[in-house]
Amino acid sequence: MSNEQPKTVDLTTLSAQQLADVKSQLEQELEHLSQSFQKLRAAQAKFKECIGTVEKTFKGENKGKSILVPLTTSLYVPGVVEDVETVMVDVGTGYYIEKKPTDAIAFYENKVATLQKNLVDLEDIVNGKMGNLRMVEEVLRQKVMSSAPNVA
Amino acid sequence: MADTATQTAYEKLTEEFRKIQSDLSTYIEARQKLESQLQENKIVQKEFSILEDDSKIYKLTGPVLVPQDKSEAVINVDKRLEFIESEIKRIEGQINDTRAKTEKKRAELISFQAQLQEKARS
Repeated sequence: MSNEQPKTVDLTTLSAQQLADVKSQLEQELEHLSQSFQKLRAAQAKFKECIGTVEKTFKGENKGKSILVPLTTSLYVPGVVEDVETVMVDVGTGYYIEKKPTDAIAFYENKVATLQKNLVDLEDIVNGKMGNLRMVEEVLRQKVMSSAPNVA
Repeated sequence: MADTATQTAYEKLTEEFRKIQSDLSTYIEARQKLESQLQENKIVQKEFSILEDDSKIYKLTGPVLVPQDKSEAVINVDKRLEFIESEIKRIEGQINDTRAKTEKKRAELISFQAQLQEKARS
């Protein structure tokens, strides 16, 4: 959201204080972006896990087999795979839709692909920001060194 | 260098400035929250649009899943999107106002600082 318009400002014309401000702002943005990156990665992994689970569990040969259903991470109850034709998919905002396993897999694959695209886009942004940050740091260093004797 | 009166005036000014800035970040946070809600609802809307009419849709209310007609669910999500969009417009207005206020205060602060320096020099 906080994408800045790429204005061309000659960094060397900025004061050391302004440069430091720009630097800390860039650092904040980077921090935020890499957190988003991590979150996207985690979400993608989750969807991939869903695909795996649907593929492994919901096939004809598993019908009638017994299964341990986790109620908590450490408490399981035995169950039987009754229906391998339908799964419930959480599509967000509290809505769940009944789907055939193949449709569910397609749904999750779509999600994974979208996230992949987002990840690639985000990576580009992060790299761009990093480049900016390096440049600002460099100019700031020069500024500080050249103006060290008479600080305003 | 500065007497107590100017000192307090300066402190008051910075305090006001800080207040406006914290308001701004509150609004921005709200804007971000709305944005993620908007995206989530859009995804659901898209999902509904490619759904067959006889698909079973359930709505999670508290701990219960309640079956819901597709048409009803679609209307619900459309309404929600409408609401979120209008909220976003409102918040954006507030953000712009607050940004303008920040700029004004900043200018005030800078001119105040300049005055102080002027005084210190004379």
